[in-house]
Amino acid sequence: MLSQIFPNKNFIYGILGLTSFFIFWQIIGHFQLAGLSLPSLTDVLNFLFDPERHALFIRAIGATFQSAVMGFLAGALVGIFLASSVQILPILKNGSDRFAAVINSVPSIALGPIFLILIDREATPAGVASIHVFFIVYVSMSSGLSSASREHEDLFTIFGASRIKQFWSLNLPYSAPAIVSGLRLSWPAALIGAIIGEWFGAARGIGILIINAMQNFQINLLWSAVLLAAMMSLLFFGLMTFFERLTYQRFR
Amino acid sequence: MSKVSILIENVTKSFSIKGNKEEVVAVEGITLSVMQSEFVALLGPSGCGKSTILRLISSLETPTEGTVNINGQLPRSMVSKHSLGVAFQDHALLPWLSVWDNIALPLDLANRPIDTNLVNSLVDLVGLRGFEKARPKQLSGGMRQRVSIARALILSPEVLLLDEPFGALDAVTRRLMNIELQRIWTLQQITTVLVTHSVEEAVFLADRIFVLSVRPGKIIREVLIPFDRPRDQLIMRSDEFHHIVDELTEALDSTE
Repeated sequence: MLSQIFPNKNFIYGILGLTSFFIFWQIIGHFQLAGLSLPSLTDVLNFLFDPERHALFIRAIGATFQSAVMGFLAGALVGIFLASSVQILPILKNGSDRFAAVINSVPSIALGPIFLILIDREATPAGVASIHVFFIVYVSMSSGLSSASREHEDLFTIFGASRIKQFWSLNLPYSAPAIVSGLRLSWPAALIGAIIGEWFGAARGIGILIINAMQNFQINLLWSAVLLAAMMSLLFFGLMTFFERLTYQRFR
Repeated sequence: MSKVSILIENVTKSFSIKGNKEEVVAVEGITLSVMQSEFVALLGPSGCGKSTILRLISSLETPTEGTVNINGQLPRSMVSKHSLGVAFQDHALLPWLSVWDNIALPLDLANRPIDTNLVNSLVDLVGLRGFEKARPKQLSGGMRQRVSIARALILSPEVLLLDEPFGALDAVTRRLMNIELQRIWTLQQITTVLVTHSVEEAVFLADRIFVLSVRPGKIIREVLIPFDRPRDQLIMRSDEFHHIVDELTEALDSTE
């Protein structure tokens, strides 16, 4: 019976795991086993869904979401553009790989002030987000582009295909699933980047809620903000997982 | 007498292997010619360098010594003129394209207009009508190789190169595909080089067979196949067929 409603066993295990996690949280919070800093789940949810605070939370979600999406798009575009250029002009490969690695090895908390100087204060969250996204998309697309089999490449060579033709007709479609996987993985990174970026003086956003709550010891507000960030991350992640499955079916 | 199409003279190809100073000689002192509209088979055990010869003809490798010419030109210029057709053991079809689009692919790669009638006629030629919209993963191994052969023929190549095209198929399907290839080849008579380790396949299909030895690959025998064309599968049961197969098998055994 159960297997007919939920054909996927892992799905049931997932639900069970999540439920026991929430119950565990509720018990610890309720009896204050971890002190005052971990309120029960119901306390946090009551705080989160209090109509008085709707406007506050919606404004914060809106701001963070906008920064994350802008950073996501910008980072993805630059990552895709660079990975494609390297595939067409392999001489750029070494330099571009190192560039990406260096960019990625700088902690985003150190990049914040630089963005603050280079671009607008309000654009800093999107800027930090774009750096995170760029690296993940660049790496996954590069590996996707170079994963075409030797037989396929030989075939294109013997048929006299130009490098550009080979890119469009072989490497790019071959890397489509890897690009979508990269986009999926980079969304949570975009959100983290946006939240960190907000700490450098944005007017509103989830990051601002977190900072304010921390400094004023508003425990319920802090956990609400964290919960919101987690939900924003998971919703889009789930959507992309579905999209990723479609791409795999289409291109593999 | 017809003209020479592929001319390989004194070709040696050696590879350097990483971490090893000595070079590995894949083929040594190969001299052979293929006439226009001739079907030649390169027969040998694995590791005899027969695929290396095919890679030399198709410009994927350049000879260490000696020369390779096709219709008086270097393989590279044949490639840039889109004058070669090829089918491998690995069908190398694009999984995201339909049967029809896979067959039409070389036209696109050669920047030629997609001629619908031409593609349809090749679909018919290899017996895949009704499967045009299917994707490679929905096809059996034999059908995939049919697509791969149709794709090899679409540019009307001057030379057709076949590298163990039926090597991954079961014995029954392989026999059927040999009969199919025989029929298709008789219609088009393109200069063809087939690499195989199946003696029966080579004798049934080829006009001439070169037997190669192992490491380094050298031609140890050249055999002319006397059967007239068009050939019927019945010849596979004749005494003469068995006689030639025995003779070649013996030659192959001596290479070990």
